[in-house]
Amino acid sequence: MAEQVSSLLRRSVDHLADEVPDSYRLVLERLGQMVVELDVDGELFSLRGGHRLEVADGAADTARARIATSRAAILDVLDARVALGEAVETGTVAVRGTLDDVQRAHDTLLAYAHAAVRAPSQPALLAALRAGPS
Amino acid sequence: MTAALAGSDFLRAPVLATAHAAGFKEWHHFVVHGAGRRLLINFSLTNETSRTGGNRLAPRVIVISHEKQWTGAIERFDDSELDVSADLGVVSIGPNRMVVRPDGYQVVIDLPGQDIRGELNFTSASRPFVVNNQPLGEGRMCWLFVPRLRADGWLHIGGQEHHVDGELAYHDHNWGRFWWGDDFGWTWGTILSQTPRNPWSMVFLRMTDRRRLRCLSQALYVWHHDEPAAIFRHAGVQTRSCGRLGRAADCTLPAPMRLLLDGEMSDVPERVEIDATRAGDSVHAEFRPQSYARLAQPSEVSLDRSTVLCETNGTAQASGSINGERIDFVGTGVFEFLYG
Repeated sequence: MAEQVSSLLRRSVDHLADEVPDSYRLVLERLGQMVVELDVDGELFSLRGGHRLEVADGAADTARARIATSRAAILDVLDARVALGEAVETGTVAVRGTLDDVQRAHDTLLAYAHAAVRAPSQPALLAALRAGPS
Repeated sequence: MTAALAGSDFLRAPVLATAHAAGFKEWHHFVVHGAGRRLLINFSLTNETSRTGGNRLAPRVIVISHEKQWTGAIERFDDSELDVSADLGVVSIGPNRMVVRPDGYQVVIDLPGQDIRGELNFTSASRPFVVNNQPLGEGRMCWLFVPRLRADGWLHIGGQEHHVDGELAYHDHNWGRFWWGDDFGWTWGTILSQTPRNPWSMVFLRMTDRRRLRCLSQALYVWHHDEPAAIFRHAGVQTRSCGRLGRAADCTLPAPMRLLLDGEMSDVPERVEIDATRAGDSVHAEFRPQSYARLAQPSEVSLDRSTVLCETNGTAQASGSINGERIDFVGTGVFEFLYG
């Protein structure tokens, strides 16, 4: 059975804290106290800021930004087949929240991506994401 | 001529990166100027410092090809898959291998996950040249280049098998301690004639600050047959970059870096003009970019910036005279534009 996306994200942020602590702190700084709820192919979980990044299972009532997408859409963006803006415009990545909160979620995503491309553990996690149903 | 290669083009990392690891980088770079096709192969080692202060050399193999458009891959390997021979003449990265021979290089590529494989032999047709301690921001880089080689072999990439039969090629080898994203940029180019028997080969380098407002050094290296004919440096070289190419990159590698680069375009110019004069010799060279691939890597000086190398193919023409010998040819250029 494929590893859940929430589990991959949890492992990913734990590795970032260990391998690229400065970049990890930048992600924390960008996210602040905000909670972002994610729905990937129906799997609901959230990313929470604060003293450390936390991935929690299930719906998040306090979420200020909500993102619904699929493994396939995530891989399309990571493999550069589709630009992130195009994915949002076509609805394969759906984002809800106030403009400020969506902007903050976007800034956090970029900080996370900057951290991930600097961390040696992440290619294996990307391979695990690919191994899941798409 | 040929023994010079084995004598000077050996791997530096086992000595220099051990003595002082911070910022160390080294790569071997090959460009094949095939008929209607460009191939670019790079074996790269980059020092990375872990949280605990330990150092490791991250090995990468880059293979990109242009026929109708650029395509290819950058594959990073675990440091345990790097092996350098005791005589510093062979570097193996997983199943990929580069061998420095007395008269050239053997390159074996095997990236099964990318469906890329091949074997190429590069035979030197010109004397190598070394430039030491080129300033790059707070760092320094040395480089050795061979302006003209003959390439033979094959490469399977993009679902197609390409046979390389006596095509012209260029090689450089770079090593030093510097940091991606530091205050530097460069334009680096190889120009070769479309006619293999044409005796002229040219290599161009221009180092600037990151914003490309200040030129730190530049040179045009011109070889005639296998020997240096003229080296034009600094104020003896005038360079103009005109316009913007105005087209998106054919590809961005590694693909996830696409998420981090603003927009589709880079600042690749529409045309580069180079005028060089010295002691009665003069050369005018012009490079017109056609398309490019973006090779991106994280900045080492900023947590939220990236460094982009635009590998650009295009047409070139050159004219002038050196030592009374006339230069007049149309050829191909492969230029690299670095944006920090």
